[in-house]
Amino acid sequence: MTKAERRELQERQRAEKAARVSAGLPASGRRAAQVTAQPNSGFSPNPSKSLATSFPGAEAEKAIAAAESTGQAKRREKLTKENGLFAHLDPPKFANTASAPKDLHPAVVNVGLQMAQFKICGANARCVATLNAFRKTYLNPHISYLVTCRPMAVSMGNAIRYLKYEIGKNLELPDEDARALFVEKIDNFIRDRITMAEKVITSLGLQKIQDGDVILTYARSSVVQGLLLAAHAKGIKFKVIVVDSRPRFEGKQLLRALASAGVPCTYVLLTAIGHVMKEVSKVILGAHSLLSNGALYSRAGTAVVAMSAHERKIPVIVCCETYKFSDRVQLDSFVQNEIGNPDELVNDQHNNFGHSSVRYHDSVRGSTAAATGGSTTGGVLSGWRESRDLKLLNLLYDLTPSEFVTVVITEVGLIPCTSVPVILREFL
Amino acid sequence: MSKHNELVDDLVAKLKRRQLVGSSTVSQATLKLLIVVISKNNWSTCNQLVTLVKSVGQRLVQANPTELAVGNIIRRVLHVIREEFREAESTASQNQSEVHSAPLTTSSSMYNLLGETGSTPNDNVQYPSSLRSNIIQEIREIKDELENIYDNIKNQASLQIHSNEIIMTIGRSKTVEEFLKMAAVKRKFQVLVAESAPSYSGQEMALELSKAGIETTVIPDSAVFAVMSRVNKVILGTHAVLANGGLVAISGTHMMAAAAKHHSIPVIVCTGLYKLSPLYPYDDDSFNVTFNPDSVLGFEEGDLIEKVTVTNPYYDYVSPEFVNLFITNQGGHPPSYLYRLIVENYDPNDHTFDL
Repeated sequence: MTKAERRELQERQRAEKAARVSAGLPASGRRAAQVTAQPNSGFSPNPSKSLATSFPGAEAEKAIAAAESTGQAKRREKLTKENGLFAHLDPPKFANTASAPKDLHPAVVNVGLQMAQFKICGANARCVATLNAFRKTYLNPHISYLVTCRPMAVSMGNAIRYLKYEIGKNLELPDEDARALFVEKIDNFIRDRITMAEKVITSLGLQKIQDGDVILTYARSSVVQGLLLAAHAKGIKFKVIVVDSRPRFEGKQLLRALASAGVPCTYVLLTAIGHVMKEVSKVILGAHSLLSNGALYSRAGTAVVAMSAHERKIPVIVCCETYKFSDRVQLDSFVQNEIGNPDELVNDQHNNFGHSSVRYHDSVRGSTAAATGGSTTGGVLSGWRESRDLKLLNLLYDLTPSEFVTVVITEVGLIPCTSVPVILREFL
Repeated sequence: MSKHNELVDDLVAKLKRRQLVGSSTVSQATLKLLIVVISKNNWSTCNQLVTLVKSVGQRLVQANPTELAVGNIIRRVLHVIREEFREAESTASQNQSEVHSAPLTTSSSMYNLLGETGSTPNDNVQYPSSLRSNIIQEIREIKDELENIYDNIKNQASLQIHSNEIIMTIGRSKTVEEFLKMAAVKRKFQVLVAESAPSYSGQEMALELSKAGIETTVIPDSAVFAVMSRVNKVILGTHAVLANGGLVAISGTHMMAAAAKHHSIPVIVCTGLYKLSPLYPYDDDSFNVTFNPDSVLGFEEGDLIEKVTVTNPYYDYVSPEFVNLFITNQGGHPPSYLYRLIVENYDPNDHTFDL
């Protein structure tokens, strides 16, 4: 929910509470419900059934509203489990069709749900899916719906800005022609700025991969995947180390694609980066966006990889199309970021096989006997919402300072990352 | 000699099968064994006793070479033995009214460092009868020190942490846990714990800390660099400390220490002295061990696991320039002071257990 919707919700609850008090019922919503034996109507939006998570219950909502109405900010912070450092960012969103306006095009609703559930993930994929959906319909109401599903990606934002500019240039056309022109512009954008750009980047990047290279990459970037597959198809003999991290494990998809193509691969988690980095000759990374101060805004963990490579003087190559350049400037990973669903951090069944085998380090001490019992049933942290002092933080992006990046491969050539504002001014 | 063989075999088997892991438990088990070995065997000269202990030590170290605490304890005991013999010899020679130049030396003097007379005691000297019990007494003191290791470290907590700090740590360390819990009694601060995949030991740490009333947040390892700029201190536990000041710690520690260095954030390591080893890491991976890769990429991935190599190193090597301070049970020391601690506690003849 956006901040406006939340405020609306709280106003409504305050009004309800006032009504309850005047009607003589106990002020607390829960007790009032018990008294009147009414089922709690869900004024928390019910997530669609396919989401594995559930919003903190109606109880918590009331408590939060009560705390807010009495101005107890600290208590509200503890109840909403948000981290004080990130209070300025929107809380994680849960897509739902209930609160969406009814006159949305189904294609857009589709895309919105898929993005919220991370089924469409990655700057390029989201942008292409959005543009394809927009072929069929108007922009504005759909853009605000999509933003409620997931915060706008820089790539999507730039694409939409370009489209609006093009539409604005041709306002005098009749509707039919305007629509045809609009669709044509979308197609051109996807063709030139995304698909062709990726081909040019691949051809430029092929010059940088030689026989005997050990290339390290992090998570999954569509451009890097294309580049590595093209290099393998060209017959260059190289090895790839795929580094992955919780909670999304996006690197597994890349691993699958590379392994099926026959590229010799190694797979490690981010904590092993100190161990594997010594045999790496190049690091190739993807980007969500490049900022005007030369910083790289990409999946959380990219900064760790770039820093480890920089420490050992290993070149870091970033592959980024120019439509992802942004005129934003940002110095740290706090001011603008995206917070993901914290429940993803709770360990589930998947990791319990390895979990118990590694536990013996502590099980002999006996101090974590209770924890080992907990881990087999559903994760050590499964009760985190009830614990007063425990919070989980799931950051999606981070900022890599420009000094860690050696070169950026774009469709206009190989540039140092400090040249991003130049490209923005001169070419775009 | 055969009296203690069974006990030694038992401990060797436990170490080999990794039924006994963790520096603290291993050290205590080794000490217990050594007390039995020394008290039940016959020996009359220093060399005999040293040879006896070294033979036991060699077997134990070979059983599990990455448990450096075993070797450290053996070396501490050997040092104690040599010390006691030297002292006994000096009192004996004084009684015989011989002028001996060695007795004025203590273990930490320059004289001893140069390896002069005194390091190989004279075999013909008559030792006082209390020598055996003295040695056993000293070893028991080491044992007591080990059992109370957390107290001395904890008491330095409120000296290092001020209020409204944000502290970052990784994985699960009992020492750090006690340290932070003690500090929380007097100070109000927040802790960010990186979970350290794939063992996820950080999650348990966060649970324990939050039960003690400390405001804790669990972050995935990928967020370490991102949030580092707001952190005030990084406090780490470690599996072992090497002679150059480097750490053998849970995987993920290296990236946290490097990120802290980049942001100029102080890194504090809480450790007992029994983890300090006189060995050098000639290679980053000398003391590393790899675990089951199933927790990284499991069998549920299907045929993917046949086509790729999966690695799961348990430890990380952190070089000494990333560490700012060691908080030990004997106080706080910078990494540059460790060589003194090694000289005070271990003898240079004992770095390897070759007989």
